[in-house]
Amino acid sequence: MVDQPTPLERFVQGILPENPVYRQLLGLCPTLAVTNGMKAAVTMSCAVAFVLLCANVITSLIRNLLKPHLRIVIFTLTIATFVTIADRFLAAYMYQMSKTLGPYIPLIIVNCIIICRCEVCASKQSVLTAASDALGQSIGFALALSSIAAVREILGTGMFFGWRVLPISWPDWVIMVLPPGAFLTFGILLGTVNWIGSYRSEKSGNR
Amino acid sequence: MVKQNKIIEPEATGMLKSKKRGYILQAWLVLTLALCFGASLAGVQLTLGPTIEENKINETRQKVPELVLGAEKAQKIEEQGQALFIEPHTISIEKPGKKISYSVYEARLNEELIGWVLKTAGQGYADKIELLLGLDPQAKTITGLFILEQKETPGLGNKIITEAWRKQFINKDTGRQLIVVKKGTKALNEIDAITGATISSRAVTGLVNTAIGDLKGSLVAKASHNQPTKDE
Amino acid sequence: MSYLIDIILIAVGAALINNFVLYYFVGICPFIGVSRRVDMAFGMGCAVTFVISIAAFLSWTITTYVLMPGAPLSKWIAGFFVPADVAAKIDLTILSYIVYIFAIASSVQFVEMYVRKFYPPLYKSFGVFLPLITTNCAILFACLKIMGNIIGVDNPADAWDLGRSLTLAVFGGVGFTIAIVIMAGIREELDLCDIPKPFQGAAITLVVAGILAMAFMGFTGVDSGLQKALTSQAGASTAENKNADINVGMSKFIIENQPIDENIPKG
Repeated sequence: MVDQPTPLERFVQGILPENPVYRQLLGLCPTLAVTNGMKAAVTMSCAVAFVLLCANVITSLIRNLLKPHLRIVIFTLTIATFVTIADRFLAAYMYQMSKTLGPYIPLIIVNCIIICRCEVCASKQSVLTAASDALGQSIGFALALSSIAAVREILGTGMFFGWRVLPISWPDWVIMVLPPGAFLTFGILLGTVNWIGSYRSEKSGNR
Repeated sequence: MVKQNKIIEPEATGMLKSKKRGYILQAWLVLTLALCFGASLAGVQLTLGPTIEENKINETRQKVPELVLGAEKAQKIEEQGQALFIEPHTISIEKPGKKISYSVYEARLNEELIGWVLKTAGQGYADKIELLLGLDPQAKTITGLFILEQKETPGLGNKIITEAWRKQFINKDTGRQLIVVKKGTKALNEIDAITGATISSRAVTGLVNTAIGDLKGSLVAKASHNQPTKDE
Repeated sequence: MSYLIDIILIAVGAALINNFVLYYFVGICPFIGVSRRVDMAFGMGCAVTFVISIAAFLSWTITTYVLMPGAPLSKWIAGFFVPADVAAKIDLTILSYIVYIFAIASSVQFVEMYVRKFYPPLYKSFGVFLPLITTNCAILFACLKIMGNIIGVDNPADAWDLGRSLTLAVFGGVGFTIAIVIMAGIREELDLCDIPKPFQGAAITLVVAGILAMAFMGFTGVDSGLQKALTSQAGASTAENKNADINVGMSKFIIENQPIDENIPKG
């Protein structure tokens, strides 16, 4: 029997060591699409966190009843339901934001992070572990999204959360808020994270 | 052959039975889940549905007073506690080869027609531009312009949403076609283009021209048609 | 004629200007995962184009006949249980995401089975990608775009028909294929380059994709120019007097006025 990870362990693992975006390269579609502003990125992270938490808890509750051939169907059904709820909720209380995010909210259904966490973690572990795993992963996802969004928004518009942080003389790098800026920023940040990771492992290896 | 079959049979049916039971259990699980989720979705729709509908309608309706009366006057009316009576219409226009439908909002204050707001959309530089256009009751002058949706280049084309640029359209005569010029406006029917975004400026102006051209006749007809009823 | 112009504009828009991968960022996972070799990338592109067309057909049909507010099929079925005026208002839009994802998943399953049974060579070339496609955002994205153009429009007359929806889907798939094949071509060359170690793999692919996206930005605005060119041509051939005179009398129009609520006093 494989030893069961504790809830705390799963929570910590999700944030940096197993960061869904930088380490596992999952859920790249929203990572690139909604990171041209901090507000959109934070809203997206909250929506993903909600769906991930609910899906993980439900999967964990019914984990003993699941059989392989129907597992994916049930996951998809669960995820699609919660995504619909999140989408309606946004449309009702944050109408402008739901218009900005547009199709990227429903696209959470095919976001690999959620189905991957259900499959890898929640379908094997207790509710508490699954929930803390979901929380850790969503914090990791939110960190990744906001790091990209911060770079893009500050360089692209000179603002952060709509407040001006760079002097008004800053020539806005418009390209950063356009699609190419997403690829460039994420590519460079990913390279940097890899570099820091390899540097640190080298250091600990030498010791 | 026959003998063998007989020996295997009890075991096979037993396996089949347990397998069958597994399938039935799974089916029940899926059904129960589907029912639970269906119920929760229905609940969400019932509680949030009206709010969403309201949001959709309010998005355009909230803009109507400002577009018809101008920002200052609209605020004054709101302070006085008066509300405009806004009535949506659909007007269809038959053009050679196609039929176009416009959403038109009729704004009335104290039973008196004070203006029209048209909603129109068309191709901009990057994507669709959707805008609201305010007209006076006789559709003679433009009273306001608001961009509902655009995805023009940030920093260049998306300046069409700034008030400084939109202001140019106010009080323009609808009798003459609006023209976009690059260096300073001279004639009354000229609109100053945004530097570096002539295409976006032209797209908006073109949309305004087309909408007025398509709807002016029917709006005038409607205004005069409604007039006598007020006196009755 | 104007229909043809519409189709051309949708096609160019989906394939080049608003490229699914480089503008909308859908289908990034295969774009990074399966773009190591040109032949594999092409196989993936073909598979996506194929599935996306089927999914678009299904989603258009389902949306128009079942999900849309006042859709004929749900109205007819509900008509047996509730009064007609209630049945006409039935709105199943809330189920759309669930329905789409299952339509996609099941169509992928059927396509896989069918192709494996009847076209083994075809299955060999791109069958392996089929199961991966279910979680490809590009497919669901096409369905959602079609739904937005059916349900989200103000006037029912503007709702997309099957032709427009299929055009969007097919050319969206073509755009995906173009992007992924170009990417694979670049990556084959990149293998020979000396890339700093942390950037090897996904990071450099993303940076290259950024430059590629910049190149594709050059297509922005092509559609408005194209539209102008096509309409002026069409206008010339049908001798349509295009907005020459804005003060046209109302006699030119057939006015169909449908007030939404009937409280206008009729004089």
